[in-house]
Amino acid sequence: MDYEAIVVGGGHAGIEAALALARLGRRTLLITQDPETIGRMSCNPAIGGLAKGNLVREVDALGGEMGRLIDASMIQYRVLNRSRGPAVRAPRAQADKARYANLARRAVESQTGLSLRMDTVVDLITDGRDARVEGVVTARGARIGARVVVLAAGTFMEGRLFIGSWSASGGRLGEPAAVGLGTALARRGFPVARLKTGTPARVAARSVDFSAMEEERGEPPESFSFSGVLVDRPSISCWVTYTNAETHRVIRENLGSSPLFGGAIVGRGPRYCPSIEDKVVRFPDRERHQIFVEPEGEYTDELYLNGLSSSLPEDVQARFIHTMRGLEEAELIRPGYAVEYDYLDPQGLKASLESKRLAGFFVAGQTNGTSGYEEAAAQGILAGINAARFLANEPPVLLSRADSYIGVLVDDLTTLGTKEPYRMFTSRAERRLALRCDTADRRLTPIGRDVGLVDDARWSRFVARAAAIEEAAALLCARRVSRTDALRDPVLAPHVGEPLAAALRDPRVAAGLEGAEGFAALVGSEAQGFSRDVLETAWLDARYSGYEEKEERLAGRFERSEGLRIPEDFDYRSVPGLSAEGREKLSAVRPLTLGQASRVSGLRKADAALLMVTLLRISRQA
Amino acid sequence: MPRSYLDAPVPIAALATAPGEAAIALVRASGSDAIARAATCFSRPAALRSAVGRSILWGRFIHPRTGEEVDEVLVSVFRAPRSFTGEDAVEISCHGSPAVVRRVLEALEAAGFARALPGEFSFRAFANGKIDLVRSEAIMELVRARTEGARKDALKRLEGGLSRRIEAARAELLGLLAEAELRLDYAEEDGAPGEGPAQAAIAGLRNRLAALCATYRAGRLYREGLCVVLAGRANAGKSSLFNLLLREERSIVSPDAGTTRDYVEAGIELGGFPVSLVDTAGLREADSAVEAAGIERSLRLLSEADLVLYLADGSDPLSPDATDMGFLASRPDALPVWNKVDSPSCRSAPEGWLSVSAATGEGLSELVAALEARLLSLAGLDGGNAGDAAGQGIGAQRDEVRVACERQKALLDQAVAALDDAMCDLDAGAALDALALDLRDAADALGEISGEISAPEVLEAIFSRFCVGK
Ligand SMILES: Nc1nc2c(ncn2[C@@H]2O[C@H](COP(=O)(O)OP(=O)(O)O)[C@@H](O)[C@H]2O)c(=O)[nH]1
Ligand SMILES: [Mg+2]
Repeated sequence: MDYEAIVVGGGHAGIEAALALARLGRRTLLITQDPETIGRMSCNPAIGGLAKGNLVREVDALGGEMGRLIDASMIQYRVLNRSRGPAVRAPRAQADKARYANLARRAVESQTGLSLRMDTVVDLITDGRDARVEGVVTARGARIGARVVVLAAGTFMEGRLFIGSWSASGGRLGEPAAVGLGTALARRGFPVARLKTGTPARVAARSVDFSAMEEERGEPPESFSFSGVLVDRPSISCWVTYTNAETHRVIRENLGSSPLFGGAIVGRGPRYCPSIEDKVVRFPDRERHQIFVEPEGEYTDELYLNGLSSSLPEDVQARFIHTMRGLEEAELIRPGYAVEYDYLDPQGLKASLESKRLAGFFVAGQTNGTSGYEEAAAQGILAGINAARFLANEPPVLLSRADSYIGVLVDDLTTLGTKEPYRMFTSRAERRLALRCDTADRRLTPIGRDVGLVDDARWSRFVARAAAIEEAAALLCARRVSRTDALRDPVLAPHVGEPLAAALRDPRVAAGLEGAEGFAALVGSEAQGFSRDVLETAWLDARYSGYEEKEERLAGRFERSEGLRIPEDFDYRSVPGLSAEGREKLSAVRPLTLGQASRVSGLRKADAALLMVTLLRISRQA
Repeated sequence: MPRSYLDAPVPIAALATAPGEAAIALVRASGSDAIARAATCFSRPAALRSAVGRSILWGRFIHPRTGEEVDEVLVSVFRAPRSFTGEDAVEISCHGSPAVVRRVLEALEAAGFARALPGEFSFRAFANGKIDLVRSEAIMELVRARTEGARKDALKRLEGGLSRRIEAARAELLGLLAEAELRLDYAEEDGAPGEGPAQAAIAGLRNRLAALCATYRAGRLYREGLCVVLAGRANAGKSSLFNLLLREERSIVSPDAGTTRDYVEAGIELGGFPVSLVDTAGLREADSAVEAAGIERSLRLLSEADLVLYLADGSDPLSPDATDMGFLASRPDALPVWNKVDSPSCRSAPEGWLSVSAATGEGLSELVAALEARLLSLAGLDGGNAGDAAGQGIGAQRDEVRVACERQKALLDQAVAALDDAMCDLDAGAALDALALDLRDAADALGEISGEISAPEVLEAIFSRFCVGK
């Protein structure tokens, strides 16, 4: 074998997968169509945000790269949804795109054991029985052997770009598609289908009138990574403007020239991130839509028009952009466009992200039907870890819905599949309260350490932080609410005699206080030695312990019947009355529990009920 | 081991119409190969095997082993999934004599059909997704309904009244949840609307569900019935009245005090409720050990009764001690009845007492009316003030749909409790992520009532209602 592992694609999934494999000691080859594009951000210039920020923290906690890359390349930092509760509060940073990509490339190139090759993969090599992957075939005819292959081809497989009536093969504007692989995989029997996504136009900052827009400033930056490195980065403002009746009129009058409405695009697009033409059509009553004008970097004049994704003809894009305040004179540098690409139905994967039909073949990122850099990175690191474990003959690392958003993501993908680009939402997680951003290290770093991705420096920082949190929590348990406290603050009256930790379960107590202020007000000088983030975590742990218990009870309610196990070799033909369609779906997905089965997309309620009856019967006989 | 619902579904058959002499009886058979099996009992097997769904065939029913002809029948054919159970099924209309029905069933048994368990057709209909849980529960009740009121009640549920009510509440709740989730999944900084679900919306929903909960009592009483106990001193005429209400001689009537030494129970229907009427030993000092034991049991029955009829002999002065006034003081909810008004020595009834004569039937219709009114009020169906929340809204009308089983009631209670928690959260200013948890709790509980829960529904609701994404 030429290499132990091959990673196809140098995007956000491929980077994490390749680094994980190499760091775990596997001789790895990263094949990309162009090394210049490693770590390129195809769409919006930001990392993190709701639920996605949690994913970045989880990737970092496992020993991944994304958190460190954004820490060193951000140009604005914010914590979103602070007022809506700790479970949904999340960091987001605007990135200097060029810097982010450069740093990613440096991380890849400086990694020992990781080689880089500029080429396009057009097919897989398999053993005679098509049961195991043995390498890849490239466009230049090279046959490269490896025992595992991680496919992370993003939007490039048979990618096609659309702007108005113009359409051409491509993965990103100006970059060729990876032609051949999607077709080859379809020929090999992989379930290949089409998805669509889009991106808005970029305009020149010097042509924009910022005085006509609202400014959105950043906050003092904090690090995404648990590495504790102080972020020393500039903070550049974003700007807000709005569409108006005139914008909507221009769009409506030109819908006929949209490839979306004209039927040229067959792939399904994301409903949560619709194009502006979609929004105008679907919500005709909305008078305006908010548009964020975001810088793409420190050394570029390009601005990203967030919320204006479109595949209308370029002249129409220019016309509707010019209807908006501040953008009247905007010069378009790049047009918005739609991209349609091949993805593999992720129901064909195990929870390890390994293919069910081809041993050693892992798939990660947009190729699995997701959208977003963070979702891609999350799958990339898991695929990388499990590919390495496959090589070592070790059982895969399986993350559960209860311990991480990565677990939710992978479970959703592999059991539900997806019909539109899948994005993470906090509401997809049953245990959202337990999956806070600030607890990602507690949840995943021990796993990363076990696997071998978390180095000594990261591990000792983790241990120190965990110990400090425990000490701070002990202060909340030791300190009891006194009568004097109650006199000072009447909401404490019902809690006199209780430890503070218990009183904090009452949302009225210390309402609105952050951890550090709360400790200062209720505990006093003893809390002084701790860092803000330690106090915050200890504080939220106490405050939300009641709700977390309730959340667990709720999740448990599902698990009672959901937890019914389906035997590994279960024959769905043994379920009387199961519809042929249901049998096919279940046999393809092979869910492990009744819960997973009932989430299999498109499964009829009746089929789930029949399966339940059969499983109950089996468990009764056992 | 006896067969259970959870066993592999074998072909089943059972008589669907009431047992006993009738012009026509209907025997139902269902199973994946029901049609082929039934064909082995039919004079035209090929025609039956190839019959299309929802067709009717005339022919002779034949015992498949002996070849003996059983009856001339009509066979209705249903093909999966378009049948009640969702499986292949046949319905055999035969002549309605018990002997014919028995032989039809024997023939089917010989053809491999097992006798259906009670409600097994409904269970299969549920398992095959033909009806939801609430409806299948209603069918079970319909089958077991003992009175007209209970039957109507179950029928309403079967028609989907309760399912619709719960679905409507759940849809509203999902709307609230979607609103909350929208705000949790889209940042306020990015222009997602700022307001969370309103207290008023949650409170309104909570009260509607609580009112639905309150109907449980009536539903349960229709199904399980009530216990009405006759009490009073010996010789007051309890047994006589008991017999009168039963319209048959059931309890021994005698002029000797203490004749009824133990209690006698009989089922009657009052106000649509199945009522078990109990005649007890009189309340007095016992003469014998046997009678003492009877009195002992009477007292226990009295403590468990839903309603006590207290009888006094109008020709005898009321006693102030443990019997009469003493008893009435301890059971103020008892209905006092002044008996023997036909007797010349009878004095006029005290204020608040109903006058009857167990001997002549005088005052009986008034007594029955008063009894029914009391039972309806116990069930929360008088539209008045009886029962907790029954008076407000849903529970108040007699013809409303009602929650019938313990399972539905427990889940509704859970939903109400969760919404109470949600209102506390709002009150205390808890963050939206905590509030959403309680809304989800309530939505899940309602979903469990109809047997479906699905988390992606919330996202569905978000995408369909709100313009999201920047
Ligand atoms: N005149 C008259 N006699 C009655 C009436 N009800 C019961 N009796 C008589 O009272 C006696 C006691 O009746 P019984 O029903 O056994 O009383 P119990 O001990 O309360 O069950 C019997 O001789 C009955 O015939 C009534 O309404 N009018
Ligand atoms: Mg008697």
